Amino acid sequence: MTALSVPARPEEDASLRPVPWQRMGWVTWRQHRATLAWVAVFLGALAVAMWLAGRQLHSAYVTALAACQPPVHSLACPGATIAFDGTNGFLGNGFLLQAVPVLIGAFAGAPVLARELETGTFRYAWTQAFGRWRWTLAKLVPLAVALAAVAGVFSLVFDWYYQPYFVAANQNLSLTEYTPFFPGLFDLRGIGFAAWTLVAFAIGALAGTLIRRVVPAIAATLVAYTGLAFAAGTWLRPAYMTPVVTNNVNVPGSAWVMSQWWTKGGKFAFSGWPSVRLLNQYCPAGPVGVGPGGKPKAVGLAECLTPHGYTQWTSYQPASRFWPFQWIEGGWLLVLSALLIAVTVWLVRRRAT
Amino acid sequence: MNVIEASGLGRRYGSTWALRDCTVAIPAGHVAALVGPNGAGKTTLLNLAAGLAAPSAGDVTVLGGRPAGSPMALDGIAFVAQDTPMYKNLSARDMLHLTRNLNRRFDQQYAESRLGELGIPLKRKAGKLSGGQQAQLALTLALARRPRLLVLDEPMAMLDPVARHDFMASVMMAMAADGVSVVLSSHVLAELERVADYLILMSRGRVQLAGEVDDLLASHHLLTGPAAEADRYAERLNVVHARRGEAQAHLLVRTTADDPVPPGWEAHPVGLEELALAYLREPAAAAALPGPDRAWRRALPSETGRQTEVSK
Amino acid sequence: MDIDKGISEEPRRAAGVSPIDFRLDPASGVPTYLQLVHQVEHALRLGYLQPGDQLPKVRDVVAALAINPNTVLKAYKDLEGKGLAAGRPGQGTFIQATLSQVALPELGGLRRSLFGWLADADTAGLDEDGVVALFTSVLRDFYKRRGGQADRGVASGETEGVA
Repeated sequence: MTALSVPARPEEDASLRPVPWQRMGWVTWRQHRATLAWVAVFLGALAVAMWLAGRQLHSAYVTALAACQPPVHSLACPGATIAFDGTNGFLGNGFLLQAVPVLIGAFAGAPVLARELETGTFRYAWTQAFGRWRWTLAKLVPLAVALAAVAGVFSLVFDWYYQPYFVAANQNLSLTEYTPFFPGLFDLRGIGFAAWTLVAFAIGALAGTLIRRVVPAIAATLVAYTGLAFAAGTWLRPAYMTPVVTNNVNVPGSAWVMSQWWTKGGKFAFSGWPSVRLLNQYCPAGPVGVGPGGKPKAVGLAECLTPHGYTQWTSYQPASRFWPFQWIEGGWLLVLSALLIAVTVWLVRRRAT
Repeated sequence: MNVIEASGLGRRYGSTWALRDCTVAIPAGHVAALVGPNGAGKTTLLNLAAGLAAPSAGDVTVLGGRPAGSPMALDGIAFVAQDTPMYKNLSARDMLHLTRNLNRRFDQQYAESRLGELGIPLKRKAGKLSGGQQAQLALTLALARRPRLLVLDEPMAMLDPVARHDFMASVMMAMAADGVSVVLSSHVLAELERVADYLILMSRGRVQLAGEVDDLLASHHLLTGPAAEADRYAERLNVVHARRGEAQAHLLVRTTADDPVPPGWEAHPVGLEELALAYLREPAAAAALPGPDRAWRRALPSETGRQTEVSK
Repeated sequence: MDIDKGISEEPRRAAGVSPIDFRLDPASGVPTYLQLVHQVEHALRLGYLQPGDQLPKVRDVVAALAINPNTVLKAYKDLEGKGLAAGRPGQGTFIQATLSQVALPELGGLRRSLFGWLADADTAGLDEDGVVALFTSVLRDFYKRRGGQADRGVASGETEGVA
């Protein structure tokens, strides 16, 4: 025969040893190294940009802190405050950066299967001895893990950048203070960024398998992710733990206020802002102070209404629950990602051309 | 051993049956040609055998009874799809590496020397190769896997005559050296006459004719005789296709050598292309032949596995 | 001239090299394997092939002509059946006999009677193509009646066959 170094015929017995998993390591790397490269470049550029912007932010914060520190209340304080509040305002609420996890996940995840199906190379890949569902799993899992890890490391940059916004003393100094649960920021920090990137990748992989075309699959991933993120932020996240309810008007600025309402004599009176009639009746003195977020400063309104028997109640999530919430959200995102990848593999195994 | 065995195999896309009631048994050690016009169901049948599609009806087994798409089947079958799909931005060397990693057996030496003989540079990206070179690369990858069965779907559509010759020569050499069985499809019969020794004729999703080429040619004759008598004999003989002039008629009939030729008529042997064209022009022709079940069940797989026709 | 005695003869050329090469006429209508058989017989008649010579390896024929190896095997088996060739395991297929030649005087007599027949046909009004058609048809009938024995009877080897 012509081949000297290879066995001439496969074993005759029905139980054939599967081709070792590690062989796919080189395959996945070679086929997706471009993807991993552009993710690295993209995040690298973003890291540099964030660092430059962060230096600005941090120095503005230091300046403002120094200027507004009691008891020495220098003339520079108002100016420094405005300067700090306004620095990189477009990044402040984090909404712009919400696009990062979904872009990475969609552009990395959707083509894995969609490109094979679109270009027809699956007719080559799925007729090799390795087997199609093992091939799918051996591609998706390492890529998912790699992307999540890279995202996880990168989120340290976000942690560092946004750190000035989360100092507890800010509120008293009239400096911007966000609750760690702020919708635009919660999923950029902690393990949220890694988890959301992971689920975006998993959605992309499944969309690619179902839609079989790269561009429509990416579009579908963006839509599905947006829906999921919106649903998570609006309905799921508030329900992770039962909110704390208090009638203490001094709710810290770092708390995530779910709702506020007023009672009188044990009965519900109104929620949110009082009616004009009530205001004119009890707070004729003029506009009450308005704090961050446009809500009436608790102290200001309470001064008018409390003497008349009104009690203010606030239900909120304290900032100390940030990490438990991160674990809960990260946990179900991980489970969901695993489920999506499992469904993808199952579809590959079962569906025909 | 039968390299591909289908029983009542069918595949539906939406409400259209791309393949229907397909019962064939292709024996090993042959070059089986799947011939038919576009849309006849050739690609569907090959996809089902390769495990890329699942049947909507019936079943298909390969390599002596193994389920299509099972690990043993994937191991022993090398499939080259239409338009030879290739990762365009991978070099030829990368494709070798890729195929080596995804399979149990891979003859790297054979693959490299073959590519060298063909003048295909290992460093060049697959997308930059010509159509003929891509086809040769795909064939090299398939043969280097040392399969038992080579399945080629319209492999020569993109090739010029010289490339076609080289391609077929490589396939035939692999058959001679390693005993690889070959199943290939084409809608051009002329180029298959030299190589095919088993023929499956397909039309509109159904198998019209299947059998060893020698048997098929021996069991068909062209009878030439007076047109006036043609109708009379047409009822008694198993006529596949008839052509009439004013005075003379040609009847392509299915007979054995023992059947007597009607007096005054001449019997000529039939060539493969003529035979195929006659059947393809008469979609109902296969229905006139004995049913497949009896013929197929009589031929046990442990024998030669050969059968002379299939229909319905 | 040597009288060839069969397979004990040593090959006269380098091992693995055949004196002949096959070609294929795809438009001739003759089955491929028969073309190969005829080419071997033709080469034997013309002296290109002598007993002891090796026929081209199946692999080489397949590489050159891109035909089914089964076809080559069938042709070689056909030649073996006629006694013209024999396979040596592991080495290839070798010519072991030569075609019987009809002695010259007999050939002369056959030529003369054929001339006479052609003159008769010409008188009857048959033109050249008509002659060929008639001859082909009768030829087929004749060998059919002989029960296919005709193709097999020509191997001689030991007794006749002076080159």
